[in-house]
Amino acid sequence: MSARVLVAMSGGVDSSVAAALLREQGHEVVGVAMRLAPEQPQSAIRARRGTCCSHDDFEDARRVAERLDFPFYVVDLRDEFGAKVIHNFISEYLNGRTPNPCVMCNREIKFDRLWQRAAALEADFVATGHYARIERDETGSFHLLRASDGSKDQSYFLFTLGQREMARTLFPLGSLSKSQVRALARTLGLANADKPESQEICFVPDGNYAAFVAQNAPLERIRPGAIRDSSGEQLARHSGVHQFTVGQRRGLGIASSAPFYVRTIDADTGDVTVGRRGDLVSAGLIAGMVRLTRPALLSCDEIPVEVKVRYRHPPLPSTLRILAEGRAQVRFRSGGPAVTPGQAVVFYRGDEVLGGGIIETGLER
Amino acid sequence: MRIYFDHNAGGPLRPAAREAMKRFISGGGEGNPASVHLSGQRARRLLEGARAEVALLIGAPPRSIVFTSGGTESNNLAIFGTLHDTARRRIVTSTIEHSSILAPIAELERRGFEVVRLPVDGEGKLLVNGNLDVIDQNAALVSVGLANSEVGTIQALDQFAQAAQNAGANFHIDAAQAVGRIALSVEESGCDLMTISAHKFGGPAGIGALYVRPGCSLAPLLLGGPQEVGLRAGTPNLCGAVGFGAAAHEMMTCMADEQGRIAGLSRRLLTRLQDSISGLRLNGPCQSRLENTLNLTFPGVLGETLLIALDLEGIEISMGSACAAGAVEPSHVLMAMGRSAMEARSSIRLSLGWNTTLVEIERAAEIIPRVWRRLSAVEPEAFSRQHAAEHQP
Repeated sequence: MSARVLVAMSGGVDSSVAAALLREQGHEVVGVAMRLAPEQPQSAIRARRGTCCSHDDFEDARRVAERLDFPFYVVDLRDEFGAKVIHNFISEYLNGRTPNPCVMCNREIKFDRLWQRAAALEADFVATGHYARIERDETGSFHLLRASDGSKDQSYFLFTLGQREMARTLFPLGSLSKSQVRALARTLGLANADKPESQEICFVPDGNYAAFVAQNAPLERIRPGAIRDSSGEQLARHSGVHQFTVGQRRGLGIASSAPFYVRTIDADTGDVTVGRRGDLVSAGLIAGMVRLTRPALLSCDEIPVEVKVRYRHPPLPSTLRILAEGRAQVRFRSGGPAVTPGQAVVFYRGDEVLGGGIIETGLER
Repeated sequence: MRIYFDHNAGGPLRPAAREAMKRFISGGGEGNPASVHLSGQRARRLLEGARAEVALLIGAPPRSIVFTSGGTESNNLAIFGTLHDTARRRIVTSTIEHSSILAPIAELERRGFEVVRLPVDGEGKLLVNGNLDVIDQNAALVSVGLANSEVGTIQALDQFAQAAQNAGANFHIDAAQAVGRIALSVEESGCDLMTISAHKFGGPAGIGALYVRPGCSLAPLLLGGPQEVGLRAGTPNLCGAVGFGAAAHEMMTCMADEQGRIAGLSRRLLTRLQDSISGLRLNGPCQSRLENTLNLTFPGVLGETLLIALDLEGIEISMGSACAAGAVEPSHVLMAMGRSAMEARSSIRLSLGWNTTLVEIERAAEIIPRVWRRLSAVEPEAFSRQHAAEHQP
């Protein structure tokens, strides 16, 4: 079967190999790089030379397309990315939560807006270089599965995919390991075979989220306040709740023999409550904006699952209960870690992603 | 069969230019026009022959033609070269110029010059009334395009020439898009400097020229040997000049017929598209426009998607000016003409040329409406969301 496949290309090795594999399978590949982040301020001489958008990454993607001989385009999604992802990122931090922009980008941009473009271009599928798998069972229903390479698995970021999206999405790398992908890239002669992985959030390249929020938020929305202990006593002042994350230890500015951790953030009062490590455990969580990968799951009352409350955390055996209005309750089987409002919680059963949501609150023990 | 509708970005070589360059290359291509020996003499003859052909195309004396690497260099030479020893501090230009005028002038603004950018009306015509007072004793340079590359609007520049002459300011016309498409005479235009470029009318890319009125004081950008009467050091691009001269020679004999033919094809395409796409809008005037240029706003679709979709169907068009990474910015020309960013984002440019055929027009007239219908069926929801995103505070 030969199909037209729109491949989202970042210029990195993963999406390049994904495109190459699809080409090898005989598909008609159309490469697309998305322009998402706004321009970074740069030195006058660079601005004068007009290098505003000559991102090296796009050039890497273009070279791959030239080498493998398929058309390649850059699409401008900066407005949508700004309105959906960056706006959300800033307002979540201002509300005392810790957002996950990659989840939002997948939901709002890659598997929504990019899909609109793909449909307009008569593409049958959108493909990305994500490490995750989609399988179709005998009833025709699609299942989102962890990647074969557990250490690279990115299914956590993809829980918003529903049946409609999965039917038209390909993850060519789902069964490969990172070293296999790099080896393939070398075999194919791709110049970016040994390119290091990008780690930071693409629109905050220096990793300083607090400074980014402060620069881009209206001044009146910055909420300074007090750092208090569990009894309510003030330990220090701070200049804005957006600088804190539940579970954070460093940079609290409190002199103490044993470390303090952030327990709660109240964006209304500006209060940041800290406690000792042992105070951080929770019994579960309430999540909002819940999406399920298979609608059949809705009918179950209490579902035994494993959940991940952060990308790099190990899965925790839990019980899931779907509530009204897109909410869900998760109870950890045994004591769980601090949960961070704003982060994604993803429900797994074995290798399958059942769905997920955005953490609203932790549940007290 | 691919259909090339991007002649304003640069078209294919005319057979005459191709043949002349082939002859030159098969002859060995050796010889530096500055050398004393016979090969040098042959090279010099070829270079001066080409200069005479190019000069004829714009009614200029051959010695007033300086070969450059293209329109961008010509514009830079005209702009920086005239400001070397003047006490005047003002530069007058417009809001719709090519980047090779906008950027040098922005640089001069940073260096302390006062810049006046004249506005245009909804059709891209320079608003002259009451705006020419700025061309006074303090004006060093007036630099404007004769025909706009994006929408094709042809300016009436007589009043500018008169004002510049009265004020003693240098008057530079960027005719890169106009040359080979409308009859040009440096005498009639009253300019001191005129930019022309080879690859917009079937010559090779990488060569252009600047007309410099005899007596006009100009400083070179490139210093070195005495080539091009000291205004452009460096061994000239002889192969390019040969192609440029051959293309210019052919234009002298066929321009009227060719432009008539292209205008007919262009009108036919526009009519067919307007018949099948309701709400389609031509940007730019009906009269006083390069007729090969159709800048069109397609209702309810993004130009960017339309460009990609048409490319996948074999029709090559363009939109605004592509940035270095290949993404497309909304056209500054359409914005200056009063279009919204969204309208600019929904606009594309088709530019026809010497090798455009009726068969291609018929085929495009069938494909473009079909692709537009497909896109407008898929995109409206996304389109309105993009619209909302743009208007979010």
